[in-house]
Amino acid sequence: MNETYFKQLEETLYHEQLANGLKVYILPKKGFSKTFVTFTTKYGSIDSKFIPLGKDEAVTVPDGIAHFLEHKMFEKEDGDVFQKFSEKGASANAFTSFTRTAYLFSSTNHVLENTKTLLDFVQQPYFTEQTVEKEKGIIAQEITMYDDQPDWRLYFGTIENMYKEHPVKIDIAGTVESINKITAEHLYECYNTFYHPSNMVLFVVGAVNPQEMMAFIKEDQASKTFEEPQEIKRFFPTEQQAVHISERVLQMDVQKPKVIFGVKSPNATISGNEMLQFELAMQVAIELVFGRTSAFYQDVYETGLIDESYSADFSMEQGYGFTMIGSDSSNPEKLVESIKGAILNHSKEWSFTEEDLKRVTRKKIGFFLRALNSIEYIANQFTRYSFNEMNLFDVVPALEKLSMDQVKEAFETLKNEEAHTSFTIIPPEKNNG
Amino acid sequence: MFQQFTLAHGVKLFVRPTEQFKTINISFKWKEELTEQSAAIRSVLANILQYSNEEYPTNSAFRKKLDDLYGSVLYVDSSKKGNKHILSLNAETVNDAFLSNEKVVDEIFSILQTVIFKPLLQEGQFVESIVKREKEQVIERIQSMYDDKTRYAQQRLLENIRPNHPASISANGTVPTVQAITNDQLVKMYKQLLHEDELSIYVVGDVDVNEMKQKFEKHFQFTDRQIIPTSEVSVPLAANDKEFLHEIQDMKQGKLHIAYRTPVTFFSEEFPVMQMTNGILGGFAHSKLFMNVREKESMAYYASSSFASLYGLIFVLAGIDANLKDKAVKLIDEQLKAMQDGEITDLEINQTKSMLTNQLKEAMDSARAQIEIYDQYKELNEDFTVEDWIGKWSDISKEQIGQMASKIEKEFVYFLSGKESEENE
Repeated sequence: MNETYFKQLEETLYHEQLANGLKVYILPKKGFSKTFVTFTTKYGSIDSKFIPLGKDEAVTVPDGIAHFLEHKMFEKEDGDVFQKFSEKGASANAFTSFTRTAYLFSSTNHVLENTKTLLDFVQQPYFTEQTVEKEKGIIAQEITMYDDQPDWRLYFGTIENMYKEHPVKIDIAGTVESINKITAEHLYECYNTFYHPSNMVLFVVGAVNPQEMMAFIKEDQASKTFEEPQEIKRFFPTEQQAVHISERVLQMDVQKPKVIFGVKSPNATISGNEMLQFELAMQVAIELVFGRTSAFYQDVYETGLIDESYSADFSMEQGYGFTMIGSDSSNPEKLVESIKGAILNHSKEWSFTEEDLKRVTRKKIGFFLRALNSIEYIANQFTRYSFNEMNLFDVVPALEKLSMDQVKEAFETLKNEEAHTSFTIIPPEKNNG
Repeated sequence: MFQQFTLAHGVKLFVRPTEQFKTINISFKWKEELTEQSAAIRSVLANILQYSNEEYPTNSAFRKKLDDLYGSVLYVDSSKKGNKHILSLNAETVNDAFLSNEKVVDEIFSILQTVIFKPLLQEGQFVESIVKREKEQVIERIQSMYDDKTRYAQQRLLENIRPNHPASISANGTVPTVQAITNDQLVKMYKQLLHEDELSIYVVGDVDVNEMKQKFEKHFQFTDRQIIPTSEVSVPLAANDKEFLHEIQDMKQGKLHIAYRTPVTFFSEEFPVMQMTNGILGGFAHSKLFMNVREKESMAYYASSSFASLYGLIFVLAGIDANLKDKAVKLIDEQLKAMQDGEITDLEINQTKSMLTNQLKEAMDSARAQIEIYDQYKELNEDFTVEDWIGKWSDISKEQIGQMASKIEKEFVYFLSGKESEENE
């Protein structure tokens, strides 16, 4: 077992890659009562075209299958896994994102037994045509629930605008039509390909004895048999630099218009340290120009173009990335114009000082230290970083080293007007009278 | 859990020293009786205090200062608990120990002092343009509830079962009450906060208790004020003549919200029994509602219950296909009936005990949750500990739970759905 001590953060991380390829990380936290364990596969909604394990030809599976599979993992021949977790006082859950599927629990007691339940239920699939059919009604209700949420529609509408080919444009849960095509056979095919231990990370954080936990996990994994690890072949379409649709408006039953201005990122193929630096530089640039201390923010807040729902973020994974700036707004067109204006002005003249950079960097370091109070944040983010070949605990040193030139260069990527898009949700037209 | 000091009559400081967190959390909570008008005024006042003060007259100057202090967080918000409105000023700052040669904690104290004692006043009034804008922000916050169908449906249910009652009064007030607020009312409310409202101050983090006490005594000179005891909120019975309401909006899913009255509140001896009863009915993923409405019948993505202990109300919520409303209501009725008939297994009891225990212990891993839980439970017992409370669930029997279920009485069914289902009825 390896040990890495992060002096500035006063944290020790224990880690080891097991014989079957599984990467295990354990981070003990002083004073915490609970232990939080996540078991994550690098498999999400965008992985819809791939060569199944042991086959030669690529297949394309129905949209929403990674999420469907996540639901179905909880049902076993002898009943529902939630029952087992509840008996041992563990609160269990799972989520599917564009690139990951995570299974998790937290508990303040019986941690080893609950870890065993987690490992077993994720490593012992059980799908039948009957249980697959039954799930369709539940997921259809989940999809319908999201359909009624304007902020979700706004977010996905913006991504759909940006991407022409890449599967990130498809809703993680799929559609009622696409999930109806899913069969038990599909689920086994995806499971066998993506749930091999060598494609997964187990992260344990909180009240835990690292030696005892590592020994327990090793013994469990050694007692199970897996195929030899193989490289997984995934296929993604080539995506143009320009957005697919530059502007769209949707009518929904809302009180006030909502808008997101999005910029498709050109830097979508990087990973590792390069990705870490670019991501942080983008976040700092956005904070400088669009953050709550910016001249832009002051202006649009005071003229009433934005309200408390305002946000400005950058996010990326391997293969795609985007900036989104948005708010509920009584005048969405004018807000979009102001955002474009700010991009143009700052790319003509970068007026920020080293002092400004220092302030924003400090703010981000503070945010990071606060986030380390949350063991859920640590587990989820650490896994995300690790799938992108980055280390979560490198964030503070990387921020401290970030130069103004890097920030400026990152900001320049927002300039290309072909990569701009906006999505607006407007209230229904009122009948007079 | 917390060590406590009286800073003045009606002003208490609660400190919890712990090495668990990398930050220090501070929270001021001013309480007064909840009315629609007071909620509205206090919500706007919270925004004004957060936005500007004498030392940092613009939001940007103020935020820059906080960013410099390693992104220290400071926000003022508006909430309610039972029959009280709470205006809170919260701050979280990085513990100096994780920074080299910095003294951010002291600076945060001086900023908190500024926010409380030096608001931006001109000739005794708040700046009119700021008042106008922050009124707008609060109005928009109230209106945004309409876009969230679950919150909207719950609010409509409450308005129908408990009109003009703390259970249905929003912590932000209503659009007309916010619109009607004057500058004088805001100034008066600010002075009331300083001199009359009961105040509890919480500190959680790696701090020295006596040093904290001295800091508060030095920076904050609070005057004596009266304490209003928290009590049960009386529930007028049979206030409404209807038992069912179906409303239509442009939407796809059906939102089913059912209210039940119970004779038990947070202050009752039987409160722990009701926590267990609600847990078995619909509090968790092993509960009757989840297992039957979701897993067995595949009717819903979510189906759960919650106990609003300060009002003695239970709510059942389910998101369903709008055409299946009657079937869902029947199925939910059957789950409660089963409990009333004593159909409760030892497994269900053990699972629920384990989950309630885990939930409470787990909450202790968040500084904010430590503050919120203690702020409520100290009303019952200032020596509250998690272990003592967990002990209250250990001996609860199947019979007690069955009897408790029999005291739960269905009061109102509210259903929100799209047009389609109306046509099919």
